Amino acid sequence: MALSFPSIEWVEEFKRQINSSEGYKKAGATWTAGVVALVTLAKPEIGIKEDVGIWLDLHQGVCRDAKIVTAEDAQKAPFCITGDYARWKQVIRKELEPVKGMMQGKLKLKGDLPTIVRFVKASQELVECTTRIETKFLDE
Amino acid sequence: MLYDVNLNFVFRFPTKIIFGPGTAKEVGMEVEELKGTKALIVTDRDLVKTDLVKTDLVKIVRDALGAKCVGVFSEVTPDTGVHIVNSGSEYGRTLGVDILVSVGGGSAIDTAKGMAICLTKGGRLEDYAGLNILGGPVMSHIVIPTTAGTGSEVTYAAVIKDHEQKRKLLFADNYLIPNVAILDPNMTIGLPKRLTAATGMDALSHCIEAIHSMQSEPIADALAFHGIRMIREFLPKAVENGGDVVARGQMLIAATIAGAAFSNAQVGMVHALAHCVGARFGVPHGIANSILLPYCILYNLDACPDRYSRIAEAMGKEVRGMDLMKAGEQAAMALWEFTKTIGMPQTLREVNVKESGLAQCANDALMDGAIVYNPKPIFDPAEILKVYQKAF
Repeated sequence: MALSFPSIEWVEEFKRQINSSEGYKKAGATWTAGVVALVTLAKPEIGIKEDVGIWLDLHQGVCRDAKIVTAEDAQKAPFCITGDYARWKQVIRKELEPVKGMMQGKLKLKGDLPTIVRFVKASQELVECTTRIETKFLDE
Repeated sequence: MLYDVNLNFVFRFPTKIIFGPGTAKEVGMEVEELKGTKALIVTDRDLVKTDLVKTDLVKIVRDALGAKCVGVFSEVTPDTGVHIVNSGSEYGRTLGVDILVSVGGGSAIDTAKGMAICLTKGGRLEDYAGLNILGGPVMSHIVIPTTAGTGSEVTYAAVIKDHEQKRKLLFADNYLIPNVAILDPNMTIGLPKRLTAATGMDALSHCIEAIHSMQSEPIADALAFHGIRMIREFLPKAVENGGDVVARGQMLIAATIAGAAFSNAQVGMVHALAHCVGARFGVPHGIANSILLPYCILYNLDACPDRYSRIAEAMGKEVRGMDLMKAGEQAAMALWEFTKTIGMPQTLREVNVKESGLAQCANDALMDGAIVYNPKPIFDPAEILKVYQKAF
């Protein structure tokens, strides 16, 4: 069954996919920089009334926790990447590489870019994980 | 093929460019146009306190601003820091400034970019590290470069060191792009030969890196290829005769268009490797770029020989009829010949780099933001170490 993005169910499945990914386990093995939060900006016309944060507690190749949080809480993470719905859709569909998206101003990053860059392969593996989720986009 | 069906890019270049000998004196009019009433000059400590240049460049700008100039912040050091930005911002707040005028090289310009954030948004600079998080315009900023190399007068980023944490922070945002760049060749007259050569090579590396970057695109390429031709023609003249106003002017323009090119297309491993030998051994950025450029080209050669072949042509090499790899190789050859004519060091050994520190530099380079855009993806520090060793 397709899971709506973003939703609690989608985030739980994302966690499951991350933890069953050999690629991420290897690429993220030395990640100790803390939580990465992904914020989708509000888009009331498709039912996203306020900004939605996805909190990913990543540590040494494992996702220890994944949950939906408020945008305010998401900003407390050491890394917070923000984009509108269409951008995240492009990322999940592998039409937009996240680091390139940040450099082009399509995604916003709060946090230390060099750390993200060092783990660019891990970020690509995370995107791979999202592609394994049967996703229902709210604007379709 | 230079581009394929996957070509997709964003190009930004909103800065108003004013060029001409003596145009620094027009800064007052530009301040007025931007509705500024209280301008703060942000400048390099060396520019004010040493005899690096014979003319008092800051006085020229201060006089041109007249009563609109409410102060001069001249505490900027070559490797600017978060503490300098925070201190400058505090000074700016006490004066109630509403516009910044940076006069100097990359360090002064980046300091003013950081101050523009703090003076508009409040708080400490460290809180704004990241990409595109400002969410709105910051204080207006006019740049008057006194070197021709950094390109920071048109870029959307500032690199500022957190000396306490011993790390460089990146602040990148469209709102950081300066409003106006005044390119006055008279402001670079008298720059010493070695500094002229080094900053010019920084500009040349911006052009070449923009062209081989994974994010290269036609608009940036157009600027970068023309930048290479300009630098090839005018950098030797500016080095040979520092008083050559035409050469100085063309170099200022070349550096600015190189800045516009790389600010959009990004840079690659040359900058990543240069940043690391700069941080560890204090090698000036332009000199490190100059030494590493040909070695990085040879490392990347099989990834984009067509691009290097065109760079070789722009550098004046005849490559028609050559095998593509051989033609691309000519870009490295041309660079070695060129850097010798302007008296640049050829090896890392000559600039006091220690071989024992190269392995750590290789590890550090993998964490540099520039490495992402290298035409050949690199994930293994051993690959980088080999390039360093060849350049040693």
